[in-house]
Amino acid sequence: MKKSVIPALVILVLSQVIVFGETTFLSPCVHEDGSFGPCHWAGRALLGLGCVLGALALLSLCGKRARFGVFLSGLPVCALGILIPGTLIDLCHMSTMRCRMVMQPAMILLFSAALLCALIGAILSAKE
Amino acid sequence: MKISSLSLNNLVRKPGRTLALALLTAFLALAVFGGSVIVLSLRGGLQSLEARLGADIILVPSEAQSKVSFQNMFLQGTTGAFYMDASVAEKALEVEGVEKAAPQTFLASLKADCCSIKIQVIGIDPARDFTVQPWISRSLSRELGDMDVAVGCKVEAGMGEIIRIYEQRCKVVARLEPTGTGLDTAVYCNMNTMNALLRAAEEKGISHRIESGDSVISAVYIKVRDGSDIDAVNSRLNGRLRKVTAVRTRSMITGVSDSLAGISRTVTVLIAAVWVLAFIILLLAFALIIRERTREFAVLRLVGASRGMLARMVLAESALCGLLGGLAGTGLAAALLFPFAQLIESALKMPYLMPDAGVVVPLAAGTVLLSAAAAALSSVLAAVRLSRVDPGTALREGN
Amino acid sequence: MTVKAEGVSRRYFRKTGTANYFDAVQPVSLEIAPGGMTVLTGRSGSGKTTLLNMLSGLLVPTGGKVWYDDTDLYALDDRALSRLRSERTGVVPQGRSAVDTLTVLENILLPARLYQRELPVEAAVRWMEKLGIAPLRDARPAELSGGELRRMAIVRALAQAPDVLFADEPTGDLDDENTRLVLSAFRDFAHEEKKAVFMVTHENDALLYADRVLRMDHGQVTS
Repeated sequence: MKKSVIPALVILVLSQVIVFGETTFLSPCVHEDGSFGPCHWAGRALLGLGCVLGALALLSLCGKRARFGVFLSGLPVCALGILIPGTLIDLCHMSTMRCRMVMQPAMILLFSAALLCALIGAILSAKE
Repeated sequence: MKISSLSLNNLVRKPGRTLALALLTAFLALAVFGGSVIVLSLRGGLQSLEARLGADIILVPSEAQSKVSFQNMFLQGTTGAFYMDASVAEKALEVEGVEKAAPQTFLASLKADCCSIKIQVIGIDPARDFTVQPWISRSLSRELGDMDVAVGCKVEAGMGEIIRIYEQRCKVVARLEPTGTGLDTAVYCNMNTMNALLRAAEEKGISHRIESGDSVISAVYIKVRDGSDIDAVNSRLNGRLRKVTAVRTRSMITGVSDSLAGISRTVTVLIAAVWVLAFIILLLAFALIIRERTREFAVLRLVGASRGMLARMVLAESALCGLLGGLAGTGLAAALLFPFAQLIESALKMPYLMPDAGVVVPLAAGTVLLSAAAAALSSVLAAVRLSRVDPGTALREGN
Repeated sequence: MTVKAEGVSRRYFRKTGTANYFDAVQPVSLEIAPGGMTVLTGRSGSGKTTLLNMLSGLLVPTGGKVWYDDTDLYALDDRALSRLRSERTGVVPQGRSAVDTLTVLENILLPARLYQRELPVEAAVRWMEKLGIAPLRDARPAELSGGELRRMAIVRALAQAPDVLFADEPTGDLDDENTRLVLSAFRDFAHEEKKAVFMVTHENDALLYADRVLRMDHGQVTS
């Protein structure tokens, strides 16, 4: 097994945590009146990015020829995932709210870990 | 190739072995750094709470004790709104032993523009207040004007931003330093602003069971004169003022302090247990690894490495593993504790103020060094035993 | 350099039959002079390897002394002894003797690297070519066969240009062609470079290359 497969597998796992997490334990705020705040849309965007990341990870596992390019594609996706919560899309205005307390730090950590894996994967697949 | 280069070479070319040892020391570092930061944060929160309360006694309407826990307002930022006549502050000043009496008025907003939850609004008299005003003064050089607000650090509103409370436009003129208490989620204004907000709340049909007019307050913070017995003053206040309860702030702090001591003890015991266990495992691991590498060491002796060189090689390898693990464990602890600080605070339900960089950085550095030292120490026995074996015997055993 | 053994013996303390000790080597006195190849032969368990290890500074004798010229070898502290062995001797032990985390060339240059001496790269390459392992210079020991590993150990010893070469069953894993190659190399090393070679072996062919043959039986040496 080529070494570059390992970061691809890690990214696949991270993407699933992002997708599953956004709808469950890492979800944004739930408002009493049922309305959606900006954090809801940030969460949806992150869910989408998680799906894209998962697809990229699967693509990279299919064949080593495209692997380098696929890892490179993952870099801006992860960067976007880091910037969306709180920077590109605003969140609720209280640090004690769920979106700021749970979703934002967790998603930034997960996408940062994926970014690191994509970087390592790109380097390894370039050498292979 | 110096022995240190050989050590590094061994670590790089045997990644599985290196990773296993580094994981053990990462576990150690995680426990020490993580546990220490949590304990320091709890202590910081308690100190902050003591500083913020400032007063010796707090007067609240008797109904406040059953309706809302006054303590929770400070510790967890639970919103509360209860009222009494403003004259209570003047009457309190007449009681023997009372040096200062500063009124505050509380209001819970239904929903401010900035937030989709209730926030606590606290009105103060800047001229008389001695608990919140000194804290506000650190961020604002002038007094709070009418319709100006100072926001706690957890209210995400920028300087100059307009926030609406009961449709009243209030301008953010200061963001306050963190306290690690429920006060970080509050918004502060002067009494004129508070009265305007109270009237607006009434107009919206939000019943706070208040009377119209500018004559209500929620609490009075009492500073007892030096030399007076606080318990005696507390009793006098309870005796003289009707429908009002005097609460000693010390009792609030003692409760928190006792909980903190308990948590601190538990964390310390856990850290010690983790260290003892991990150290034993490291000792065994190094003993096994070295037994497995007898032939390798015999070959090194064969080509001229002295016992001292071999011992240094083993110590260097273990210290490097420890360093690697220390960095990883400390990094992981930091990655979990700092971004999720608010979550931890909410879970603990206690004042929680994270130490600043001046404390965290040396603590992290110390943890990493300690991990490296622990790993090196755990390999000393094995290194010493190794150095006592004749290469001839070792070669024989390795055959 | 002349190696001299004066009543060198090795006793192991363990229960054997009626006694609590076992003499692997009875007091042995001999001299290994430069310019010749000495072969020590004998049955398995006769003490040949034990004697070689004591002469090469790897095993402390329980009796007697070993001299390298005027230096009492075992009177030196471990540091001085190790340095002396590294500079003056080359040892080819029985079995596998490679550091797995180093390449073949790195293994060969290791003795010089430990003491930051000038690396004998030229000599190493020359010997690697002579013994047919030059293409394996960047390989790891795990990729080598037993015979290739043995030849690597021989090159490691020879590349340092030692005054004395100690070899314990150096042709054990080698085929006939490589055996002849190694034995010739040892003989040339002794005669042409005026060095001493002391070899322990079962190999009968080795006797044809020897300048002196010693026989060991139950810990005693006979010529």
